[in-house]
Amino acid sequence: MRVTRRDLLRLGGAGAAGALLSACAGPGATPVNTRPTIPPADGPITLTYWSWLKDLQKVCDVWNAQNPHVRVEASWIPGGNDGGYQKMYSALAAGGGPDIGQVEMRTVPEFVLVDGLVDLRRYGVDQYADRFNETLWQQVSFVGGVYGIPQDSGPLALYYRPDLFEAAGAEVPATWEEWNETARRMRATDVYLECLDLSDTSWFAALAQQAGARWLRVEGEEWVIHMTDDATLQVARHFDRAIDEDLITTAYGQFSTPWYAAASAGQIASAAQASWGDALLQSVTSGAGQWRVAPLPTWGPGGYASSFLGGSTAAVLANSKHPKEAMEFAIWMTTSQEGIDAMIANSGIGWSPSRDYIGQSRLGGSDFFGGQSYNTEVFEPAAQPAAQNPDWSWWPITQQSFNILSDGFRQKVSGGTLVDAIATAENAIVEAFTNKGLSIRKAEA
Amino acid sequence: MSATEQSSAPAATSGRRRRSSQLTAAPWLLLAPFLLFFVLTFVLPILVAVGQSFTRVTRSGVFGEQGVTSEFAWFANYAQALENGNFIDSIFRMLLFGVVQVTVMIALSTVLALLLESASARWPGFFRAVYFLPYGIPGVIATILWSFLYVPGLSPVIDAAEVVGIELDFLGAGTVLWSIANIVTWTYAGYNMMIIVAQLKAIPTEVYEAAEVDGAGPLRVAASIQLPLIRPALVLTTVFSIIGTLQLFAEPQVLSTVAPDVDSEYTPNLSAYTTAFAYNDYNVAAAQAVLIALVAFALSFLFLRLTNRRS
Repeated sequence: MRVTRRDLLRLGGAGAAGALLSACAGPGATPVNTRPTIPPADGPITLTYWSWLKDLQKVCDVWNAQNPHVRVEASWIPGGNDGGYQKMYSALAAGGGPDIGQVEMRTVPEFVLVDGLVDLRRYGVDQYADRFNETLWQQVSFVGGVYGIPQDSGPLALYYRPDLFEAAGAEVPATWEEWNETARRMRATDVYLECLDLSDTSWFAALAQQAGARWLRVEGEEWVIHMTDDATLQVARHFDRAIDEDLITTAYGQFSTPWYAAASAGQIASAAQASWGDALLQSVTSGAGQWRVAPLPTWGPGGYASSFLGGSTAAVLANSKHPKEAMEFAIWMTTSQEGIDAMIANSGIGWSPSRDYIGQSRLGGSDFFGGQSYNTEVFEPAAQPAAQNPDWSWWPITQQSFNILSDGFRQKVSGGTLVDAIATAENAIVEAFTNKGLSIRKAEA
Repeated sequence: MSATEQSSAPAATSGRRRRSSQLTAAPWLLLAPFLLFFVLTFVLPILVAVGQSFTRVTRSGVFGEQGVTSEFAWFANYAQALENGNFIDSIFRMLLFGVVQVTVMIALSTVLALLLESASARWPGFFRAVYFLPYGIPGVIATILWSFLYVPGLSPVIDAAEVVGIELDFLGAGTVLWSIANIVTWTYAGYNMMIIVAQLKAIPTEVYEAAEVDGAGPLRVAASIQLPLIRPALVLTTVFSIIGTLQLFAEPQVLSTVAPDVDSEYTPNLSAYTTAFAYNDYNVAAAQAVLIALVAFALSFLFLRLTNRRS
């Protein structure tokens, strides 16, 4: 048989396909944190930073003016799971990507799982640890490594409308127990005290965290899951009851379009939200001067005064050629006064993770909040380590776990309970871990 | 191996031979640019996806520090995809959606086309353009536009209904699917209408004249002449719509920001997207994608078989 050109083409095509297939087959390379460390560069270098913070280049330019040999260029990506992570994962898989990427606290372990982040302890990050909030530093530390520099966060507090409280004859609740009574009074005036988006479980997780929960932790060489602890169940029962008694609305989530409509119509009286909610609150039509901030209600024994919701890190990605310089820039950006002030002024970041500087513009009173110095009065104490659950840590399939949990929470409208949903979710999460090959066991009750 | 090549090869003179090889080379040369992109952007991705769907990456330990292995997994990913109740639910949700929405839309498109092609139609060109217009609006924009009519507090429709004592909830657990169906119908009814109109225009005038001579009224013409003759167009638009239904993505994705009931696995494509890019599990996502393709293929085939048998 004669070999024709077409046969050759066919063979070549199959060969190329095979080669590409094997190229896409994934891992096999040496994990980034077992490779030798990369020494600092000799000459001038340029670093790239992928982030969804707005006007981040202006912050970088402050650094660039002082450090001409390490130029940092910011590049905008869509926020987190809206497309930014997808882009970073693809770039990592292709062997490229930026030096620094914005990665949320809760997503750091997901990137670690795909060998996407540099362990910064190998580049001496320990010497800077005392500049950061201990709780947040704990949340970027995993099994002996530090995988991101905290860049912003959000301690929780209670935003509320004094006029609606007064009209209902209600006090600002100091505990979640009192919150029930407040909500009841609000309902009497046809106002909801709060809303709960059953599809967004991160808010619930933050409150469970406040109550003292510790859903996942590493023990030895495996994960230990404990979602059905007393703290979590207390929070679940609380909101089960609140939904059953119509004390809270599940029709929309905070800062969603219908929420803004309800807020500007005076149908929602408060929002337990993070410090970064202040900027979002200012989008409420004619909301100026109407809102104040109070400490978050508490759960009682074993609980904490507040909790962190959201927050992100500047993480050095695995394919960076200059991890040390990238880390130094991130340290400057998140702990120097000029870095923090530039981040607040240009990018409107959430709460600064710095231990002793909250930002110049956050020191005084705010016109929107009727002159209240809410940052120093409420949020600064709420961010203190004593006010925060020190044991909480994130895990490698956070997003999937949250989706699993929200699948269960949605059953609430058709007769399910949050308590049941948590127990079911715990099993499903164990299975998801196992499917990835990871070691996990349930905590003994 | 082509027939010309074989028959001419043995006894050919060198001149004839050159010409024949030129003859066989020419089409390939002309096709090359197309084939190159076809293979690179179509065939290869499919092969890679199928390959991925049979591969499994396992990371052992806490973060995979005890070893990362990639192995041929047979149907393990498919099993995992099929065990996922949300994914199966999404397929059945789309079947329900398809049975209702595709039927309504094709019926609507047919009626519109028949009306516009009837002798008594006024300004058919203008109305054709008006009905077709929504197709020019991308699904994302269309969904944002419609959500202004769906969201309580913003929607004048809900406010108006409230005045007369009707409480409307377009985004509830039971209604949001039909709110999506409404957007899809609004977008594609005009497009399908155009395909049907094109086929209607291809009906020779003699047929109409004969019908007129026989004394057939407009309804009789529609039932006995137009509908049977536009069958191919109806079959085509229905098959496209079935495939389109299974691939629904943008509308629920955008609506999920205002409708808590639209979850991250509301449609099969959303489920595959979430698995790939939120859970970072490309292998199971590839298996899901292959399954979606198989279901779309099976449904289209089934529909074609059914319509062929009847004729």
